[in-house]
Amino acid sequence: MRIMTNHLSDEDLILHYYGETARADAPRVADHLASCGECQAASTQLRRVLTLVDTAPAAEARPGFERDVWARLEPQLHAPTSRLVRHSLGEGGWRTFFWAPQWALAGGVAALVLVAFLAGRLSNGAAPAAPSVQQAQIEPGRVLHAAVGDHLDRTQMMLAELVNADTDQLDQLAGEQARASDLIAVNRLIRQSAEQSGDAAIADVLEDLERVLLEIANAPADVTSNELSDLKARITTQDLLFRVRVIASEMRQRNRTDREAGDRMPQRPPTS
Amino acid sequence: MEERDPSIVARARDGDRDAFRALVDLHSRYIYALAQRMTGNAEDAEDVVQDAWLKAHKQLSRFEARADFRTWLHRITVNCSIDLIRSRRHREDAHDPADLEQGPLSERGADSQPTPERVAASAQISDRVQQALGLLTALERAAFTLRHVEGMSIEEVGEKLGMKTSATKHSIFRAVRKMRTALEPFVES
Repeated sequence: MRIMTNHLSDEDLILHYYGETARADAPRVADHLASCGECQAASTQLRRVLTLVDTAPAAEARPGFERDVWARLEPQLHAPTSRLVRHSLGEGGWRTFFWAPQWALAGGVAALVLVAFLAGRLSNGAAPAAPSVQQAQIEPGRVLHAAVGDHLDRTQMMLAELVNADTDQLDQLAGEQARASDLIAVNRLIRQSAEQSGDAAIADVLEDLERVLLEIANAPADVTSNELSDLKARITTQDLLFRVRVIASEMRQRNRTDREAGDRMPQRPPTS
Repeated sequence: MEERDPSIVARARDGDRDAFRALVDLHSRYIYALAQRMTGNAEDAEDVVQDAWLKAHKQLSRFEARADFRTWLHRITVNCSIDLIRSRRHREDAHDPADLEQGPLSERGADSQPTPERVAASAQISDRVQQALGLLTALERAAFTLRHVEGMSIEEVGEKLGMKTSATKHSIFRAVRKMRTALEPFVES
């Protein structure tokens, strides 16, 4: 590592190369580079090294790779559940894992009303003037971004409490069931919004999350320690908490972007 | 058959198995190369390819016809790679990262100093790049690849990997230093 006091540090040079020098540091870095031959040389050397990385050809799959991929893939395409889902649920399945019929039959009107409610409740902390159903349909992306962060925060909290509960704390699961039921409804709405707005990655995580929430909500009253352990293991194995955290973070970023974009947009006159 | 023929995607979305197979044939090498770059080994890359196709199949109905299929598949593959890397993170955490910082490349299985002839051989430079990438931890490699190859900002990389921005920066700094140590002999000073 280059040890310098007056010269630019390695970190300065790397951030400069990637164009990620902090705004406050930019004048210092630019001025120094303009006047220091040693740092110019170091910067050039770094650029050459990293260019070398770019010139390395990509790894080639072996001949016949596509055929092998298809041979492994095809049997799984029309299985009742995918390999990933089987992995996350376990081959034996969770005895209470069923799509709750009341949610399967949930009507579109109720869904839109709840999405509209969420959007109104969560929009910029302003007075909750709930957007119209029409708005919820027109702007599913923005509604999703605004609502999903709050939902994921609450879900993370519940999952964390569950994962950290002792397996003999069976009442912990019972205590979470009502909360899980509430979260399922919102989760499903957000997942549907994600699907509509093309956020496939988010929809995927929400789908996995929904299954776990259903397991919690529908767990029998006489759940055993082993079953609670299984559930905790399943949450851990799927990295569900981590994935939820990542999506929550992404949503917050998108929400910021939405707000910034909204700030740049001309204000629409209020509708009466 | 055009590589980006949207009609293949449309037919696959309608459940045409032959069309989906055509997509597998057309894009598997591309996503393998991507997965290999992200994960650093062939076996993991093959698993990522498999998972990526399963997810693509599952989510195909959500794919918007006007979007570029390869771009969509690329994103799925990156996410599958990150999932795999994350699932192994605990194992890596048990490894002392400082240990990976120590010692020149020569102590890590790349001990033959290159002759000018070898340096001139681009295939060998490529090997050396692969060796150098092999020195990175899984997280360093993922962070470096997402920043350097995928062009994500450091903040975006951190969000993808579930790391704070400062930790992401340090992963990238460590990765770049290791790459520089390994590859400096190949560039004119």
